[in-house]
Amino acid sequence: MTELLNLLKDGNSRTVEMLAFELKTDKADVERQLEYLEHIGAIKRVQGLPQPEGCGGTCGSCSGCSGCEGSAAVCKGCIPKNADDNMGTLWEVV
Amino acid sequence: MSAATIALLGQPNSGKSTVFNALTGMRQHVGNWPGKTVEKKEGSFAHNGTTYEVADLPGSYSMSANSDEEVITRDFITSGKADVVCILADSSQLERSLFMLADYAGLDAPCFLVLNMEDVAKDQGKSIDVNVLEKKLGIPVMLFSATDTKAYDKFYETLERALKGKTRINVSELEKEYEKIEGYNDIKSSISEKALSGCTPMWLTAKYIEGDKVVSAKLNEALSKDSLSKLEAASKNSGGAIATGECKFKWIDELLTGVVNKPKTSVSLGKLDRIYTSKVWGKPAVVLTVILGLIASFIPALPIMGLGSVVDMLKNVVHDALVNAAVPDILTGLICDVVLQSMGYVIKMLGFVLGVTLVFGLLEEVGIMARISYVFDNTMGRLGLQGKSVMPFLVSFGCTMGGAAGARVIDNWGQKVLTIALAWAVPCGAAWAIIPMLSTVFFGLGAPLVIVVILLVMILHMWITAKIFGKGLVKKEDRCGMIMELPPYHKPKWGALLRYVFGRTKDTFFRVVKVVLIVCLIFWLLSYGSGETDTSILYRVGTAIEPVTKFFGLPWQLFIAFIAASVGKEGAVGVISALYAGTSYGEGFAAAMSGAARAANLNELLLANVSKPEALAFIFAITFNLPCVVALAATYQEIHSVKWTLKIALYYTVVALLLACVAYHVGLLIF
Repeated sequence: MTELLNLLKDGNSRTVEMLAFELKTDKADVERQLEYLEHIGAIKRVQGLPQPEGCGGTCGSCSGCSGCEGSAAVCKGCIPKNADDNMGTLWEVV
Repeated sequence: MSAATIALLGQPNSGKSTVFNALTGMRQHVGNWPGKTVEKKEGSFAHNGTTYEVADLPGSYSMSANSDEEVITRDFITSGKADVVCILADSSQLERSLFMLADYAGLDAPCFLVLNMEDVAKDQGKSIDVNVLEKKLGIPVMLFSATDTKAYDKFYETLERALKGKTRINVSELEKEYEKIEGYNDIKSSISEKALSGCTPMWLTAKYIEGDKVVSAKLNEALSKDSLSKLEAASKNSGGAIATGECKFKWIDELLTGVVNKPKTSVSLGKLDRIYTSKVWGKPAVVLTVILGLIASFIPALPIMGLGSVVDMLKNVVHDALVNAAVPDILTGLICDVVLQSMGYVIKMLGFVLGVTLVFGLLEEVGIMARISYVFDNTMGRLGLQGKSVMPFLVSFGCTMGGAAGARVIDNWGQKVLTIALAWAVPCGAAWAIIPMLSTVFFGLGAPLVIVVILLVMILHMWITAKIFGKGLVKKEDRCGMIMELPPYHKPKWGALLRYVFGRTKDTFFRVVKVVLIVCLIFWLLSYGSGETDTSILYRVGTAIEPVTKFFGLPWQLFIAFIAASVGKEGAVGVISALYAGTSYGEGFAAAMSGAARAANLNELLLANVSKPEALAFIFAITFNLPCVVALAATYQEIHSVKWTLKIALYYTVVALLLACVAYHVGLLIF
């Protein structure tokens, strides 16, 4: 896990597969380490989750605006449905 | 009839609720845990003359105290309310899901292990030897699928064994791992067996090393000052939660050795991903994808752009009709040159909005945008942006408005504003139509050199702009190394995509039409004259401020063309043509905005009236000027901030004039 954190801190982007290759392990092992590091607050997930602020409450006039201010919903008028799922999961070192 | 309490423990999606429902059926009640908003589910069932109370503990990742769910779970178990704890794990991913078991190991409560989702593991080609695992762990272990109602006899039998034997996890191998942590033995020796009921010193030591606040607080109460300072000193170099986590994962891996047989899989990437993630081919592949996307976006855009041209033709028809009907000139001008002209503009622009949103929405839907984002993350990171920002930049070579619209895939508002601000520095298609023409007229074979210099200035401009705006827009914590789990490629959901595309196009229409109408009206009023060049406000202002504009290398005609280029770069050449040919500026402006052809002898006119340094200044001024009024509107549409839209517009106007000034004075030295 220390090795993984060191790799993450060097500022280079990597896919989970690349991390597995560099750490000479498998994808499942990297995923469980990422899950653990996220749980202890060493890294944070920046995408792949609903954005609590949605449009920031500023797009009241968008069609389909769910008035998402203060809720976990993403404004339908601002972002395509499930757009986050299509953008993969990203983590950043805290 | 005897009685016993079972606690169901497991990570989210381990199948706890399925087991709970299958065991208790209708005999369950739901409430809240005291003082918390966490759902409490309890129920009961009878089997072989014993009544069992079942508590479905909240799903939690571990036994730490990081959330209400984890605190409730831990308190329930350590309180001794449960006669036995049923720990559930997903047998299709044991390396991951056994973490709960590893974190539980060391709690002083009888337990047994249920490996759920046997069917999924089988589908993956995995076989699990439960007997070996049981032997290693020292507790009953069973493998089943919670959804298979016929498999519950096995569950009851395992439950009874655990209750009868009061089985606890054999933690000797785990402790051997913990003992490798610096300071572990010192900390453990300071903690007595009875420091906290329900927890062994080994478990408390591990939690103390992890910095568990609840355990630390309880040890503070239970231990003397001397013991506490010993603990603190011993835990300093322990490595914290990362060290204990590594021990737990190592223990899990050793537990599973000889237990799970699975088909060997090597880490590999698909063909497309091998190209996209390649250090050599990744960037060219992304650039090619975006260029193809841009070209493809013209396909749905062209019919709508054609509709815009129909409005332009309608303008001429209406103009003739109004003139024949002897309608006053000013009204004819307002209807034709402002209203119909603006509508023609907006409709043509909407075609591009629809095309870009559709094509790039599609790229996002199928998972390609994630690859684009990944490939350019490092480069963009240097500018304080996300990898996704490259898409608006590349699109801006075609149309800045398209680039601004494309920035909507950037979720961080500050990064979105900065992306659009930088995208403005990229010369758009209209600029690329004018720059080569003017460069060739004035500099002949030196024209390619002018274009290379413009590209270099563009990069410098973007870098400086990122430094200036980046400070206020992008926080340092927004940027750092990134790990990405690339999503699989999949088919698009056309219904949702089209609803989104048409929704965005409609929104853009209503927002942009207001801005374009206002700006066109202002320019029309400023350029309105009674047929004579010198009666328009623009002429009077232009000649009045010429002493200043000359400093930037722009005579009044070029300065007016520079202002007109703010509405649309396409108009700049038409305006120059009209002004140097001595036509009425009002007519020239309207003609230019309609995309009228330049005067046939424009080259001679320009060479006779404009010097090379002035031409260089003008090229830089219009290239890096505010892209066009539509881009301005699209920027506001995306960032929802009048303040930032105006700030960026003002910045670009000033920088364009400064660059013109530099180019002019450099030109004076050269020519």
